[in-house]
Amino acid sequence: MEPLAQLRRVSKTYGTGEHAVAALVDADLSIHPGEVMLIEGPSGSGKTTLISILGLLLRPTDGEIIIGGRDAAKLGERDLPGLRASHFGFVFQGFNLFPALSAVENVALAIRMKDPRAKDPTGRAHALLDQVGLSARAHHLPSDLSGGQKQRVAIARALAGDPPILVGDEPTAALDTKTALGVMELLRGLATDHGRAVVVVTHDPRLERFADRVVRVEDGKIESNLHRKHMPLAS
Amino acid sequence: MWNLAKKILLHDRVKFAVASAGVSISVMLVLVQIGLYAGFMQTASTLIDHGHADLWVTRQASENFDFTAPLDDRTYYRVASTPGVARAERMILAFAQLKLDSGGDLGVQVVGVEPDAQLMGPWHVVAGDGRRVGEPGAITVDRSEYAKLHIDRVGHRTEINGARAEVVAMTDGIRSFTTSPLVFTDLTSARTFTGYPAEAENYVLVRVAAGADPIAVRDALRAIPHVDAYTTSEMSARTRTYWSSRTGVGAGFFTTAILGIIVGLVVCGQILYNGTLQHLREYGTLKAMGAKNGQVVRVILYQALIAAVVGLVFGGALAFLMRAAMKGANLIVALSPGLFVATAIVTVVMCALASMLSIIKVLRLDPATVFKV
Repeated sequence: MEPLAQLRRVSKTYGTGEHAVAALVDADLSIHPGEVMLIEGPSGSGKTTLISILGLLLRPTDGEIIIGGRDAAKLGERDLPGLRASHFGFVFQGFNLFPALSAVENVALAIRMKDPRAKDPTGRAHALLDQVGLSARAHHLPSDLSGGQKQRVAIARALAGDPPILVGDEPTAALDTKTALGVMELLRGLATDHGRAVVVVTHDPRLERFADRVVRVEDGKIESNLHRKHMPLAS
Repeated sequence: MWNLAKKILLHDRVKFAVASAGVSISVMLVLVQIGLYAGFMQTASTLIDHGHADLWVTRQASENFDFTAPLDDRTYYRVASTPGVARAERMILAFAQLKLDSGGDLGVQVVGVEPDAQLMGPWHVVAGDGRRVGEPGAITVDRSEYAKLHIDRVGHRTEINGARAEVVAMTDGIRSFTTSPLVFTDLTSARTFTGYPAEAENYVLVRVAAGADPIAVRDALRAIPHVDAYTTSEMSARTRTYWSSRTGVGAGFFTTAILGIIVGLVVCGQILYNGTLQHLREYGTLKAMGAKNGQVVRVILYQALIAAVVGLVFGGALAFLMRAAMKGANLIVALSPGLFVATAIVTVVMCALASMLSIIKVLRLDPATVFKV
C-alpha cells in the first residue's frame, strides 16, 4: 500500500557551529492509511521535532518529505498551508479550543478556515461531532465540557477538511486513564473504520495496545520502529 | 470570521467594556474638541457670515476683524462710486462700556449699522422690533447675554459710555467670539457709544451690481489708497484663520483632540493585544491547520472594527450630552455630519492601528509553537 507520507533521511539541526544541536538525525518513516503509530521517547529526544516536520510545521535541515508524490521540503512557504490543510489534522494536549465558541462553532471555524467556500460548515461540524460521539454537547462552550469531551471536540476539529493524517501531540496527557483510553479508542476507530493514519506522540505505554506501530526516538534518532507484534518493519 | 471576532470580544465582557469605554472617550473628546473649535470659529466670523455683503472693505493691513483702525467717509464715498458697486454701507465695530444695574460696567462690542441697512443687522429677532434700531440710543441684545448684562426685558434702559441706551429688540443665538456681548445699534448711536469721530467707520460693506464680477470689483476697490477689500468668504476665512493660528486657540483644541486619539489608541491597542496573547495558541492551531495569515488577521481587524463602531455609537451619544451641557454655559459645540464622518474615519484608522501589534504578533506566530506546551 502506498504510504500517505514518507520521511527520507530527515535531519533537523538548530543553531550553527559550536552551538549546533542535532534535534533529529537521518529519520526515515512511512505513514500508511489505516495505521495508528505511536511515537515514544524521553523528553528532549526529538519526538516533537519529528511530528512537526511530518506535519509540515517545521522545515528539515536535510532530507525529503514525500507527500502525494512530491517533496514538500522543497515547496515554498506559500504552498505549505494548503498542503497542510489538505493532508493533516492536529490534536493537542491543551485542546486549544476558542473558549468563546461552542463546540460546533469551534469545528465549523476550522472548516471555514480550511475552505472559505465550504458549503454548510455548521451542518458538517455537527456531523463531525456526531462522529466523535459529542452531538449532544454541540452547543456547549469548552468551559462546560470535561477534558475528554474537549479532546473529542478537538478531534472533530482536526477532522475538518477530511485530512488523511491525524497528528496528536500527547492528546491524552491531560486526561484521566478511563478518558484517555476512550480518546484512543476513538482515534483507533478513525484509523480502522475510515482509513486515516493516526500519529500520536505519547509517554504513556498503556496506549501501545491501540497502536499498529511503535516508534521510539532517543537523542534525535529513531532507535526502533516496531509492529505491534514486535515484528521489525523496514521504514 | 465576524462571528469569531464578535464572540472573542464579548466573551470577556469586562475587557470589552474597558475597550469600548476607551474608544468612546476618545471619540467623545475628538467630537467635543473639534466641535468646540468649529463652534468658536463659527462665532468668530458670525457677523460676516450672517451679513448680506458681497465684499468687505477695511483699512489696509488690518489683521483682526474685531480690532481694526478707522476709515473716513471719503473712503466710503470712493467705494460707493466704484464701478460695479450697487450699494455701499458703513459699519462700525468697536468696544464700549455698558452700565450694569449693579453700578458696575461691562465691556460690549457695538455694531453700528446704517439706519436703512440691508447688508448688516441683527438676525433671529425673537422679541421687540429690530427695525427700531435706527432710533437714537436704540440697541438690540442677544437673549444669551441678558444675565451677563443684568437685562430682564425688551424696554430695559441703561447707559453705554454715559449715553442713554434702550433695548428695543432681543435676538437669539448671536454670540461674540471676544466674549463681550454684541450690541447692535445705528451708526450715529454707535459713534456716541464708542467715541468714534463723526465721519469715521471701520468697514464698508458692498453689494456688487447685478452682472458685475465680484473679484473684479474687489480688485478695483483695492486700488483705493490704504484700503483692502475681500469677498465675504475671504473675510470669513481670514478672521477664522487669525483666531485659530495667531492665538493658539486651534492648537489648544487640536492638541486635546490628538490626546483623545492617543488615549483611544493605547486603550484599544492594549485590550486587543491582551486578547491576542490570550488566544495565541488557538490562532496557532488555526495556522497549523492551514488557515492563511490573511484569515487570522481578518479576525483581529474585525475585532478592532467592532470596538470602533461601539466606540462611535457611545462616544457620539456622549458628545451630544456634552453639547447639551455646554449650551448652558453659552458654548457652541458644532457637531456637523462632516465632523461625524471624519471622526468615524479617524476612529476606524485608530482602532486598525491599535490592532497592529496584535497583527504583527499573529503574523510572526510560528504554528509549530502549538506543539510546545
